[in-house]
Amino acid sequence: MAKINLSEVSHSYNPNDPNPVFALNPFSMTWENGNRYAILGPSGCGKTTMLNIVSGLVRPSAGRILFDNKDVTDFKTEDRNIAQVFQFPVIYNTMTVYENLAFPLKCRDFSKSKIDERVNSVAETLNLKSFLNSPARKLTADQKQLISLGRGLVREDVAAVLMDEPLTVIDPDLKFRLRRNLKEINEQYKTTLVYVTHDQNEAMTFADNIIVMSDGEVVQTGSPKELFERPNTTFVGYFIGSPAMNLFDSEASSNDSVKINNTLIKTHTNLSNLKTKNIKLGIRSEFIKIAQNQNENLVDVNVEKVEDLGNYKLITAKMGNFTIKSKVTRETEIPNQSVKLHIPAEKCCVYEDNKLI
Amino acid sequence: MDKLYIFLKYFFIVVWTVFVVAPFLWALTTSFKDFQSVNGGVTYIPWVDFEPNLEGWKVLIKSPAKGGVDIIEPYFNSMFVTCTASLISIILGTLSAYALSRYTFKAGFVKNNDITFFFISQRIMPPIVLSIPFFLFLSSINLLDSLTGLIVVYIVLLMPIAVWIMVDFFNKVPREIDETALIDGCNPYQAFLKVVLPNSIPGLIVAGMFCIIFGWIDFFFAFILTFTEVQLLPVKIVALNSSVTPWWSLSASALVSVAPLIIVAFIVERYLSKGNLSGAIK
Repeated sequence: MAKINLSEVSHSYNPNDPNPVFALNPFSMTWENGNRYAILGPSGCGKTTMLNIVSGLVRPSAGRILFDNKDVTDFKTEDRNIAQVFQFPVIYNTMTVYENLAFPLKCRDFSKSKIDERVNSVAETLNLKSFLNSPARKLTADQKQLISLGRGLVREDVAAVLMDEPLTVIDPDLKFRLRRNLKEINEQYKTTLVYVTHDQNEAMTFADNIIVMSDGEVVQTGSPKELFERPNTTFVGYFIGSPAMNLFDSEASSNDSVKINNTLIKTHTNLSNLKTKNIKLGIRSEFIKIAQNQNENLVDVNVEKVEDLGNYKLITAKMGNFTIKSKVTRETEIPNQSVKLHIPAEKCCVYEDNKLI
Repeated sequence: MDKLYIFLKYFFIVVWTVFVVAPFLWALTTSFKDFQSVNGGVTYIPWVDFEPNLEGWKVLIKSPAKGGVDIIEPYFNSMFVTCTASLISIILGTLSAYALSRYTFKAGFVKNNDITFFFISQRIMPPIVLSIPFFLFLSSINLLDSLTGLIVVYIVLLMPIAVWIMVDFFNKVPREIDETALIDGCNPYQAFLKVVLPNSIPGLIVAGMFCIIFGWIDFFFAFILTFTEVQLLPVKIVALNSSVTPWWSLSASALVSVAPLIIVAFIVERYLSKGNLSGAIK
């Protein structure tokens, strides 16, 4: 277990090119010991590169990696005491389940009794006990992934367990249980877990800290609540949440309000220092409700469609050229045509050049 | 339609079987015939068409002093040379194939693929091109007409096969396996020996089979590079021929020389059909 520090790390796969393309732009970050982190972003945004840099499979073009303040940048993978689980299960075909789980400990010369104790305890947690003596290649895909996971968890002193979309091959029901298992393991052993995913739900339910990435850049780090309520950039607002955040091109009209289609919307943001005219107002559809008796921040919209999604209703409406989405409870009565929606000022985010002010 | 398919399928299987098995049956019956039964018209069935005898087989193990040809020593020579050369080729070939599959080499314009092709290109050349260089080379280091000399030459011939097969095989073994082994705490050598190699046993078997076949059947180099001290089986069999062709002992020796390959083929087929080739990922 270790505190992991990435300091000014960046990586390019063609560093000698005069114009190198960066898979990962320079960033710094600290992963505290015993926390759960999720790295979230669309495919090809540098998530896996980041993991491989931490595990040592890829050496960064620049920057240092510190485990507990010790520089490990030049350490080989096998000396970093890290565990990594890949998207598809990787098992040692020729060994039994027990030998698979014991392998990381054997490589590090643990005693036989210690290996036995750890393997049994991990097998217990992952429900693999009854398979311990069967050949690993005979198992199903999700059981194989459990083995990969188990090999990561079998070392108690592991600096961190890195998981690269580990639950892709596992069916939804088991997925849910496994995520909870992972949480329990994290709480019990205080293992630092880092989880790469492109699925926001997975990230939100698993991690206490989410790192959002886009195009080789770390866009925002924060708790699920922060990411949801105060997205740093329009990308995060768009990427996180379902449906995506409502974003409207607007212009500033006073120190704290913006104008959308001639409707004045009050915000809690100080707009006195704007430099550009590229202003967007962002608001989560969860916060937009049908107006009751409020008298400001109201917009007139035409309801286009209402989808009943089981636990809530999703209203899609037109406000001039803009489409606005609002999530309301199932019981809400929705008028057929025009309706007044209320946009709460405290939940408004204003973006200048796509960055939160 | 289905019936026609089944009919055609079995028809071709039968034709093919006859095509493959007939020469063996022919050799088998001929090996038990004497001069009369071979040259006195067509005969097929033992004890009915002709009286079988063991003369053709006995000649093979009798010493030359008693009028035999004694193929036992060449047989073991062949076995020794083939197995040793195959083993060394597989070891060297596997190591170089792993390197070619996992690491990036660059020397000027020469890259991994070019190196792999260089190995294979050794087999593109007609062997006769190599005969004079090999002869001069072996004579300069005093290894003409010796088992060691033959082993050296055979390694040159067999290693490209091993490299070629194993590069392809290692390329199909997912890199994540090596990476996982490194993460689990192996050094690169342990990762290769403990994890990648056990996963590559089917590839090793196929490569080994090809090496053994090509080593065992080689006549050309064995003929050119040996004279009296050392003889390999193919050379000895050809030398059986004389003014009167001894069809019976030729047939017997042909069967004896094919036997090891048939055994190898059966073992390999058994092993490969068990499905041990299936991957470690998914």
